Amino acid sequence: MLRCKMTLPSWSSLLWGACLVVLTVGCSQNPEAQFAWRDTTLDLLPKAREGVQGAIHDAFGTPHDLVAWDKLPVDFGGVQGAVQPAAEGETLSATQFHVKWDGPSAGIGAGSELLWMTGALAKSKHPTAMVVKYDDATKTIELKTKGDAPAAGDRVSVGYGQQLQLGRAVYMKNCNHCHGVAGDGHGPTAQYLNPRPRDYRLGLFKFTSTLSSEKAAREDLERIITNGIPGTYMPSFLLLGNNDGGKEKAAVVEYIRWLAMRGEMEKRLVDELSGDYSQTSLDAEAVKSKKSYEEAKVEYDKARKAGNKEAEKPEPAKSASQLKKTAGEELKKYLDEEFAGTINDTSEFIADAWKRADDPASRIVPTVARVADDAASRERGRLLYMSDKAKCYTCHGAKGRGNGAAIEDFWKKPGSNETYAKRGLHDTWGNPLSPRDLTRGQYRGGRRPIDVFSRVYAGIKGTPMPAFGGTVLKDSDIWDIVNFVMSLPFEESVPSAKPASAPHMAATESVGQ
Amino acid sequence: MGRFWAIFFSLAAVVTVGFTAIGAEYWWFPGDGHAHTTLGKKIDDLFYLILIIVAVTYIGTHIVLGYVLWRGAEIRKDEKVWFSHGSHALEVIWTIVPSGILLFIALYQMDVWRNYRVKAYFPKKTAAVAEVTARQFEWRIRYPARGKTLQPRPQPDDIYTVNDIRVPAGQPVSISLRSDDVQHAIFVPELRVKQDAVPGLVIPVWFEVTETGTYDMVCAELCGWGHYKMKARVIATSEEDFEAWKINAAKEQFYDGVPATPDAVAAKADEK
Repeated sequence: MLRCKMTLPSWSSLLWGACLVVLTVGCSQNPEAQFAWRDTTLDLLPKAREGVQGAIHDAFGTPHDLVAWDKLPVDFGGVQGAVQPAAEGETLSATQFHVKWDGPSAGIGAGSELLWMTGALAKSKHPTAMVVKYDDATKTIELKTKGDAPAAGDRVSVGYGQQLQLGRAVYMKNCNHCHGVAGDGHGPTAQYLNPRPRDYRLGLFKFTSTLSSEKAAREDLERIITNGIPGTYMPSFLLLGNNDGGKEKAAVVEYIRWLAMRGEMEKRLVDELSGDYSQTSLDAEAVKSKKSYEEAKVEYDKARKAGNKEAEKPEPAKSASQLKKTAGEELKKYLDEEFAGTINDTSEFIADAWKRADDPASRIVPTVARVADDAASRERGRLLYMSDKAKCYTCHGAKGRGNGAAIEDFWKKPGSNETYAKRGLHDTWGNPLSPRDLTRGQYRGGRRPIDVFSRVYAGIKGTPMPAFGGTVLKDSDIWDIVNFVMSLPFEESVPSAKPASAPHMAATESVGQ
Repeated sequence: MGRFWAIFFSLAAVVTVGFTAIGAEYWWFPGDGHAHTTLGKKIDDLFYLILIIVAVTYIGTHIVLGYVLWRGAEIRKDEKVWFSHGSHALEVIWTIVPSGILLFIALYQMDVWRNYRVKAYFPKKTAAVAEVTARQFEWRIRYPARGKTLQPRPQPDDIYTVNDIRVPAGQPVSISLRSDDVQHAIFVPELRVKQDAVPGLVIPVWFEVTETGTYDMVCAELCGWGHYKMKARVIATSEEDFEAWKINAAKEQFYDGVPATPDAVAAKADEK
């Protein structure tokens, strides 16, 4: 009886304890958001890895501490201006001054961060300051800290990086759970989706209005965000930042571009190093060295047996640790002497590519207007579709159902002799991909004729859909194919004897037919 | 002690009614508190009718409860208690009266219900403006070309939008509601429109927006992890603005990427 009384409380206290544990599970703080590294980055030798991670960290920061690197063609937000002298007879306090802005300055207010670009203050210990008051009517800034007064003509920047921060907030709320913190397409919900969310880190976007060699323009990204991608899980964010004049959309576009630049920079730097300084490459080299030693040893033994005394004894195979040591020495030299140049070249290359994407010269503009969408044009389009010139049918099928013979083939991985494990087409990210079924009337990159024209003209980036424009097909040929392809969903409903009238004419003018 | 409970329950009734009245000042129905469709106004009338019935019943019950508790507290020890339990007459009364009320509500609302749901009782001149297809996690909308009627299957000259329903105000219009994947529900609170979208069914939903404006629209059926993302809008405009929008939308949708040169514009004007 006594024992029972003694054990009972301990049992119940255990139970209470268990309850407490269960109740407080999940009360721990959320894990800190981090930019995940590529597998190939983590595979590098420690020193090489540190070099790459350090370079990326310096240039881009962390999700909590973004770095706005002015070398990149990203609109980080904020406005610049020059300090103006005080008007005659006006007395300004030591912390006040006037500024003439280069752009709209309405966004400045208490709490905005100020950065001195030129002048004595820029070189001082504290090149930044906090705005406590701003009057947009007189363009007068009042600062928190008392310091040396700026000289007239000093360049100043206020709110630099604001747009990137807003973009991060919008991205973390709406995009992060599929596209991931680093834009690697590995968000928590990504595993449930087919097709997989885009991995921005190749700097590659499928549906663009730019030439096949160019990146995506800002407008392309914004169009996708607004309209979504039918047939995938990318929904429309038409009402994102509703009534804010497109501020949030513009900010998230900048942030996505910035993530893509970060990812591509990391990839290019790693690719530069991984051939010589990764664990995988060293292992492969060790295996190779061992193999060649063994082969040479067999030769040597054979020669000795045959009585050849002059046969040279083969050098012993290099062990992994030996190889690592030599690689480490080379790596040190490389990091000290050449790596800074590589970082510079890579960032310049990426910056140029993204800058070019928004250049009007990179945009696809058909040299001829859409060819009248009549039966003759569609027939020409059909013949091209089935021709050896365009070979559309090999993937999209003779009837456009996306079931061409190519989906039964084992395709080679780009840049190697290996084939994919699965039959059919794959995209650059390695995901299986089916050619579009053109009879469904679903257009992922948009249903405007120019959208379909661009798909044929410049191909779909990162997929086996090739670019036909400029070289293989004339613009008028492409329009014929567009007319044919866009008629496919309606084939049954259009009586073959009487061709349907041009839809764009019917839609834009009042219909009296 | 007995009187405490009598006062407590009477006060409870006063406090709830008071809070409801005060709360209604600050938050009642979404938007400006009024329905913006003809049928919505009738639905609101039904709502208020039921609210009055319930309020009267609630207050009446509490008055009786308070009275009984008060009387009970006054009873002396030697006084004989009267039990109502098992009273045939009372049982009959409180069965028949609520049944009567329920039957009245059931019959009285039928008119609105059949007007809302039964196709034969839709307004005569209801124009089908669009097909709304819900999918995870957005609304895709297909309109017939200007001057044409909505066909069950897509047409080459159809106009498409996403998360953006345009309707003319001041006339009964209907949308064909479908779903691409799972169950969704269209819900436009200010228009008092709510209808499940069921895979495999095409469900007509009609409404007549009384005032032009932009109305929020959401999904009202938990449809997956992105349910909360399905926010959209209904824009009701005048008939002329609706037609003008359609012309513009068609122009944009059939844009061929060739910037209009002054010559081309002049040539087109000549054609007309």
